[in-house]
Amino acid sequence: MLRKLTAAAVAAIVAWPASAQDAYTIGLTGALTGPPASTYAPAVEALRIYLERVDAAGGINGKKVNLVLQDDSAEPSKATANAKKLITQDNVILLMNASLSSTYAPMVAEAKRAGVPLLFASGVCPKDVYPPADPLLFCTTAYAANYDSRATLAFIKETAKEPVKIGFSAMAIPLSRGEMDFAEQQAPGLGMTVVGKEVIPPPTPDYTPFATKLRDAGANWVFSWAPWVTQVRTLEALRRLGWQGDYIAWSHLEAEGELARLKDGKFYVIGANALFQDELPIHKEIAEAAKKAGVQYPAQQMAEGWIAGLVIEAALKATAWPPTPAKLAAAMSALKVDTRGLRGGPIEWTKDNHFRTRQYYRVYRWDPGKGAIVRVKDWTAFDVK
Amino acid sequence: MQLAVNILVLAAIYALIACGYVLVYRVSRVLNLAHGELMMLGAYLLLMTATQFSSHWLVAIAAAVGLSLIVGVLVYLFLMRKMTGEMVLAAVLTTVALGILLRGAVVFVWSAQQQYPAQRLEIANFAIALPGGARISLCAALLVATTALVYGGLLAFLRFGRWGVRMRAAGQNPLLAAQRGIDLHAIYALAWGLSTLTGALAGMLIALDSGLDQTMAIIGLKAFPAALVGGLDSLVGALAGALIVAGAEVLLIHYVDPLLSEVVPFLVLIAMLIVRPWGLFGTREELDRV
Repeated sequence: MLRKLTAAAVAAIVAWPASAQDAYTIGLTGALTGPPASTYAPAVEALRIYLERVDAAGGINGKKVNLVLQDDSAEPSKATANAKKLITQDNVILLMNASLSSTYAPMVAEAKRAGVPLLFASGVCPKDVYPPADPLLFCTTAYAANYDSRATLAFIKETAKEPVKIGFSAMAIPLSRGEMDFAEQQAPGLGMTVVGKEVIPPPTPDYTPFATKLRDAGANWVFSWAPWVTQVRTLEALRRLGWQGDYIAWSHLEAEGELARLKDGKFYVIGANALFQDELPIHKEIAEAAKKAGVQYPAQQMAEGWIAGLVIEAALKATAWPPTPAKLAAAMSALKVDTRGLRGGPIEWTKDNHFRTRQYYRVYRWDPGKGAIVRVKDWTAFDVK
Repeated sequence: MQLAVNILVLAAIYALIACGYVLVYRVSRVLNLAHGELMMLGAYLLLMTATQFSSHWLVAIAAAVGLSLIVGVLVYLFLMRKMTGEMVLAAVLTTVALGILLRGAVVFVWSAQQQYPAQRLEIANFAIALPGGARISLCAALLVATTALVYGGLLAFLRFGRWGVRMRAAGQNPLLAAQRGIDLHAIYALAWGLSTLTGALAGMLIALDSGLDQTMAIIGLKAFPAALVGGLDSLVGALAGALIVAGAEVLLIHYVDPLLSEVVPFLVLIAMLIVRPWGLFGTREELDRV
């Protein structure tokens, strides 16, 4: 009996690596817990569901996809340890990051050292993926530094009925501050008067002192490009102070639910993902999959992860078996993925552009008359050069 | 006028949180570094009771407050009691571990997404106009009132209440208090219960005002300098410390740079530690022992 058990155990140990090697193994480190988790965890959950569906349908090129998830709580040291573990122990052919930008530098270093491609799957796209792109870095995330501000300011200029006195609200993290600095420089060239810029540290128990400054500065428009919590709490503090101006913010995962919660006719969200109110067939597909999987997050928050799933599936499909990081990186450098309406156009990667060749924006707001979210401006394209 | 209101609201937030640090430290000499997480847990308990009693907001809040008190007592009975007789450092490290555990548990149970208890309870957080053109939200006004009530109640309880006097006695000299027949474990359990209750109240009111997520645990830590500036074993000190820290923070945001708000509490704390390490109203010999 003992000999049989020993033989079974040895067989299991030998068979496990064989089955793991018989799959595309990819690894993700993300802020699944910790303060900014609300922005990242739903996207990771969507990606997990997407890949489980792919596996259930027979996998890719007849092989399963083995997704290894690691939590870094948005801490750079944990992200580094996770990246090392994924590369050396799990032998992943693709690293993914779904966390704060502070985790990027150490992960990029690990990825480059090992020659493994790194995909930013729900954190802001770093400039290294813009042309001329780093050969190993790729990004599917909707938001993009500088392009977002250009699109937002263009929308404000087009929409404003009186001279624009604009205020900015950023979170005290490098990318958010940098983007608001960029917008502050661009605004005067569009005929806008910059009246204030608040850089708000996370976390803040009361946003009113910051909102008071924006209100007192006389802003009639406020633009915020920051994690959702900063964007929406600044707006709510402004409204409680009696401020009646227009407010525009980036359309993060939470945007759709929040527009419906706030019911504020002068609150606009600008983004690159179509909201679920558009009722596309793919939205129904995501909602059904989320319901079936019994996820904790609303289906409306899953578009970003779903898009990452579409791209990963296409990239792995184009990678000949047996897969290696180099083969996958080569496949990713010549990829065109139909986002089926979730974005204004396809995600197209070339040798020099690992972001997308065109970035599309849509603007939504709550319409108090209709009691629903409405599209204010349809897809507007910006060439990425 | 709006500046004064902003200072008052922030001071009320810090004071309500800080009194939890003071209660536990004053009675048991333990620095509770899980106070922010317990405060966050209290807010999530409100979210839970809000689901059960959505049409009765007062019942939901009362139930969450009661549960918070029980949580505090249980933390003492099942965790901190085991630390009796151990080094203070061991007890402090235990609270750090408790904080990490609570943060993970909250994500596991309630997920990482933003929550809005006020919406579930159908509380309209409207703005109230004040003289001088200032405005304050209903929940912020409630927070200021609650802080005043809590401090008034606690000061009266500690001065005139039977159990309050026992708490003071246990804090001043536990050995003598025990010899006089005071049940130290009951006193410590009460201190932990009251500390968690006051922290949870702060968490609930902040969550009702502006929403709830995991960053709330860090807000709990931001109130810590207020307690230290005032003197870690003094309730009046916590009130004064909160006012000083909040005043410095709001004025620097308004007149100098908003980024300073992050460092101001700690700058004030360093200045106080240099000039008067035991805080404004703290007891010198007690802190020397630490």
